[in-house]
Amino acid sequence: MAASSVRTGRLLALAAAAAVAIAYPIPLQLGGYTYFQTVGFLVLLNAMLGVGWNVIGGWAGQFDFGPQVFLAIGAYTAVVLFIHLGLSPWLGMLAGIALAAVVCALVTYPLTRLRGHYFAIATVAIWMIAQPIGATWEFINGSRGLFVPMKPAAGALDALVTLQFAGARKGLAYYYVGLALLALTLYGAWVVERSKLGFYFRAIRDDQEGAEGIGIDSRLYKVIARSVTAAVYGAAGVLYAFWALAVFPEQVLDLNWSVLPMMATVVGGIGRLWGPVLGAVILIPISQIMSTTLGTGPLAGRGVDLIVYGLIIIVIAAVRPTGLLSLPWGRWLRLSPAPSAPASDIGSRSGDVAARSGDVGPRSGDVASRP
Amino acid sequence: MELFVQAAVNGLQMGFLYALLAVGLTIIWGLMEMINFAHGEFLMLGMFGAWWLSTTFRIDPLLAIVPLGLVMYGLGVLIYEQLMRRVQLGDPFTQIFATVGLLFLIQNSAVAVFTSDYRFVNDTLLTRLSGAKLQILGITVGVPLLIGALVALVLFLLLYLLIDRTEFGLALQATSEDREAAMLVGIRPQRMFAVAWGLGAALVAVAGAILANFFAVYPQVGLQFTVLAYAIVALGGFGSILGTLLAALLVGVVQSVTVVYLPPAFKDAFVFASYLLIGLFRPQGLFGRF
Amino acid sequence: MAALLELEAATKRFGGLTANKDVSIRIDTGEIVGLIGPNGAGKTTLFNCITGYMHPDAGRIVFDGVDVSRTGPHTICHLGVARTWQVVRTFGRMTVLENVVCGALARTNRMAEAEARARRLLTFTGLGGKEAMRAANLTLADKKRLEIARALATQPRLLLLDEAMSGLTPFETAMAVDLVRRIHAELGLTLCIVEHVMEVVMPLSHRVVVLDYGVKIAEGAPADVVRNELVIKAYLGEHYRDRR
Repeated sequence: MAASSVRTGRLLALAAAAAVAIAYPIPLQLGGYTYFQTVGFLVLLNAMLGVGWNVIGGWAGQFDFGPQVFLAIGAYTAVVLFIHLGLSPWLGMLAGIALAAVVCALVTYPLTRLRGHYFAIATVAIWMIAQPIGATWEFINGSRGLFVPMKPAAGALDALVTLQFAGARKGLAYYYVGLALLALTLYGAWVVERSKLGFYFRAIRDDQEGAEGIGIDSRLYKVIARSVTAAVYGAAGVLYAFWALAVFPEQVLDLNWSVLPMMATVVGGIGRLWGPVLGAVILIPISQIMSTTLGTGPLAGRGVDLIVYGLIIIVIAAVRPTGLLSLPWGRWLRLSPAPSAPASDIGSRSGDVAARSGDVGPRSGDVASRP
Repeated sequence: MELFVQAAVNGLQMGFLYALLAVGLTIIWGLMEMINFAHGEFLMLGMFGAWWLSTTFRIDPLLAIVPLGLVMYGLGVLIYEQLMRRVQLGDPFTQIFATVGLLFLIQNSAVAVFTSDYRFVNDTLLTRLSGAKLQILGITVGVPLLIGALVALVLFLLLYLLIDRTEFGLALQATSEDREAAMLVGIRPQRMFAVAWGLGAALVAVAGAILANFFAVYPQVGLQFTVLAYAIVALGGFGSILGTLLAALLVGVVQSVTVVYLPPAFKDAFVFASYLLIGLFRPQGLFGRF
Repeated sequence: MAALLELEAATKRFGGLTANKDVSIRIDTGEIVGLIGPNGAGKTTLFNCITGYMHPDAGRIVFDGVDVSRTGPHTICHLGVARTWQVVRTFGRMTVLENVVCGALARTNRMAEAEARARRLLTFTGLGGKEAMRAANLTLADKKRLEIARALATQPRLLLLDEAMSGLTPFETAMAVDLVRRIHAELGLTLCIVEHVMEVVMPLSHRVVVLDYGVKIAEGAPADVVRNELVIKAYLGEHYRDRR
């Protein structure tokens, strides 16, 4: 039957992806190409952030350009606890996640009075206010930043506990930690997607007023959605801090921490669980390759790599506005038969323009998502 | 107290420049509800254009406004027709994504051509007047900034007249109120959108030409103004031109006054804090249609 | 016996326009009340006030003994009021089943239970078999059914239908009337129906309330209301009133 072959196909794809992800750094390690492990790590990190951003942006449908604030909170929390109390960064991560989520909830609740683009600017506002605070707050050393003191690790287990890897296997180790965190995040997102939260988020996205009418407190659930995003960002911040071994306000509050994951999510397919992963796997290696080939050598410093990168983004946006996951992979890989009217593609949620609709009306994409 | 008033007056003048900077966004947003990350890049192009014309041909930026405006209008229309028209079909986030790509493209094209070095215009009308002051009612007003503000105000008023008093402006307003109804009376929304993008690009580039007299010119100068422009448009109420003017003046004053009492790093933070404060009491901005 | 829903002199103003003026209505448990009136009479505004999307500027709205004049929509839903919309609204990007599950989740946190209730309601409203369709792809009649199924999933005691029959073919209208009857008879709900289609609202309603320019001008059994001279004047003008 079509349905179960799709499921088998999905499980196979998942297993294949997992196998590739796990095996990826090993030949690189053996060959000494540790730079590519770093690229892999960045892919994993941004994929994780993308999955996090997808909760508030893809599911709840709110424009959010400010989650980097919570990345910063997570990073600083863990680093401060490590420096002053010697607390393991894993515990620091729990603390960072908690603090990020709480601060997010407190700050976001009043903002939920604002809708659509007004809300978007409000998220930017929080970010703009966080910047000078980060740069001038003495407790976290202001713009001078904090350095994670390297303690010589007594063996592999100790290194894992303090999240400080050194030596030849460093890239490999951070990569696997990143992979584990991404897997955990994906699992969490999968659970949320099928839960009441996931349903309520998407209802708010599709029609906030209608959602209120069936008992959904849209303000509350927007706050919850954003707090989930904040939690993921906080965790990622801790990982980043212990990888970079330093935290500076300018660096953890960089707008790219929301723009890049958002772009990855859009490329892969916004609102789809695996969208951010696909998008990160595509975008980040491209940008790295661009920067190492076109950004060095005779054309160095002239931004040519970013010009090409920008063009690629533009082309993807223009040619496939609904994201790459919405391409009919199932059909291409012979996993499901061609769809027959009127049932929609199984599993396809994001908008193929509703050409089969019985009534003449605006495209499902714009009216439904207008605030 | 005197310091406060002085700062406020300076802020008002900057405010007029900000108004010109932001109003293009108001038009684009009011018509199409699009967020354009590349707005500041058009500003940057305007700045570079003015600098280049000034250093290569000795054309004063204030005169360069006309050719720059025309060229940028064409660029805006081109960008709409080649790119934005296609992404209008997709998710709002795809539109944002496309403008981010545009940002990378434009900013780094500038880096490729001009490098990231800071440039300065000199020997223009306003830079030559630098240091000239007027005393009005006991307040010292710098002449260059005053002239820049006046030019911006005139252009802003011209735009207002265009939108409010001409048939064309009426068509723009109609399209923003109800796209389908506008189509029914023979207005082509696609044409309106293209013009909106053209106007938006032209206006912000012209603002850039004026600003080039006061700020350093470099490829990365755009993003901070993009963010500020959005705050202004949101504060004024998306789609309201009058709101944009008032919000811009408010922002100019807040920035200017904040710098007197707090470290400069807090300048923009206070603008955004004001936005939040106002937003909580008036979620639709000062004049927005909600 | 206390009324299920009681409006006491509810007034709603929009600037210079008074959309509802001193409207007092009482709806008892088990009734089907029709709310009619020419366009612009303020019927949808009244619905918006009852369901918490707007709040009356004067007067009170009491549901089951609870003053809900200042309560928000999601709380009112939990108290037991559900509504459909004049312009049909569904969660377009979700499937038919997911739409109704969202409604069911108002009463339970368990997904299995919510899904089971959703499926039952989809069958009840005639959408059985279409669970996996995207809501945006449905026909208008099916979207209206979906809206109703979703509202029913919240287990309301009072259901407000805002022009549920508009835009339907005669056949679809007959099916819709049948559905409304079943909702009343089998699910035991109290209903208030805003309608323009007289052949629908008159046979269905136990009682009819007539609004005109924001004011209640008549109330009573359908047969009496139809002969009321103020009602005739409101709909057809002075000319016809005199011809009565």
